[in-house]
Amino acid sequence: MNEERYILFGQYIENELSAEEKTIFEKQLAEDKEFASTFEIFKELHLHLEHKFGNEQELKAFKKNLKSVSKEHFKAKKSKVIALKSWQYAAAASVAVLLGLFFFQNINPSFDDYNSPEMATFIERGDVNENLKLAQDAFNTKNYKAAIPQFETVLKEKKSPEIQFFYAVSLLENNQFQKAETNLSELKSGTSVYKHKATWYLALLKLKQKEYKSCKEILLTIPDDFEDYDQVQQLLNELD
Amino acid sequence: MSKTTIHLDQIYIDGLANNDSAIIQSIYKKFVPKVVHYIRNNSGDLDKAQDVVQEIMILLFNQAKAKKLQLTCPFDAYFFLLCKRKWLNEIKKSSNKGVTIDEDLPSNNEPTEEMVTETEIFDEKQKLFDLMFQKLGDKCQELLKLSFTIKSMEEVAEKLNVTYGYVRKKKSLCVGQLTQWVQETNRFKSLKIN
Repeated sequence: MNEERYILFGQYIENELSAEEKTIFEKQLAEDKEFASTFEIFKELHLHLEHKFGNEQELKAFKKNLKSVSKEHFKAKKSKVIALKSWQYAAAASVAVLLGLFFFQNINPSFDDYNSPEMATFIERGDVNENLKLAQDAFNTKNYKAAIPQFETVLKEKKSPEIQFFYAVSLLENNQFQKAETNLSELKSGTSVYKHKATWYLALLKLKQKEYKSCKEILLTIPDDFEDYDQVQQLLNELD
Repeated sequence: MSKTTIHLDQIYIDGLANNDSAIIQSIYKKFVPKVVHYIRNNSGDLDKAQDVVQEIMILLFNQAKAKKLQLTCPFDAYFFLLCKRKWLNEIKKSSNKGVTIDEDLPSNNEPTEEMVTETEIFDEKQKLFDLMFQKLGDKCQELLKLSFTIKSMEEVAEKLNVTYGYVRKKKSLCVGQLTQWVQETNRFKSLKIN
């Protein structure tokens, strides 16, 4: 290995050469092809390492952000398929509601008409949180009673808005209104992506308890860019 | 190299380099569905598409950060072609499984092809450099890691309990070792090609 040469390369890059030495160095770069191409690789490696270690934290932050955006994007995609199916149920349900209206007049909308929780998908390939897996499976099979203690264990270890949201939905499904309301309210006043979803479920919580007035008040606070705003609109119409 | 003008879509590259969530989201919204569609129609599924997209985004982040990536073609075509070629390579790697590839007309868009090739070369180089780095002894690895993270050579010397002069010299020699290995690999590669 040509040690002298590499030391010289390092000095040139770090700007440690005198003006005279620099001129000699650059002259050699211009005249000696082999010298120049070796320096080129040295310089590129230097740049690579500078990036690799200098931006290590930024890359970490980027990957984390990317992962969550990707998860959110693909989840929306998956739940759209489900939403289409539940739309059919909703259509059937609203026919029933219409029939009900026809016969009984003034019937109120019910929680069940709007109760279509999305699938929980926290577990990624390679993930091994046993409790979270159990909670997810229980939730997706609508066994909310079993999901609740599992969620509680997971939340004790690490709290995330996503898990808290599915925990709150489980509580609501299981008629634990007080606890559900506390958790949903917390999400509602937060800044996570679950903010509006939590508000929607808070309205459903009121609906389930037949508190129509507060249900409506909460619905009115949901902005119209919320992904399920058509549902909000529909419920508002029915409440009028 | 010819002087080229930077495309307006450079905002996507800058957004990735700045970890700008709004830009990342809009890339997913505008450009990712096309990639997903392609991969699904060519022996892949949603999960595979998700992985390919993430890998390409990370690659673009790295290139933008490490060497001022300047876009001279539309982002749409560039991004799609990168994802597509990455996916085709992956299929090739596991080609013992029977796969169907819906190979459409070759794109003859030169600026895009050029940009894609440049990014792929960058990717290969990064991988080669990382591989070589792993070959270095622990001492070199530690010294390089510290001296490229901390910047102040005095501090690095203190941490490693050696002199400033030693760190300076050793740093160059470690990068020199890498340089030599890369040169040898290049020679080996060109021998294989010619």
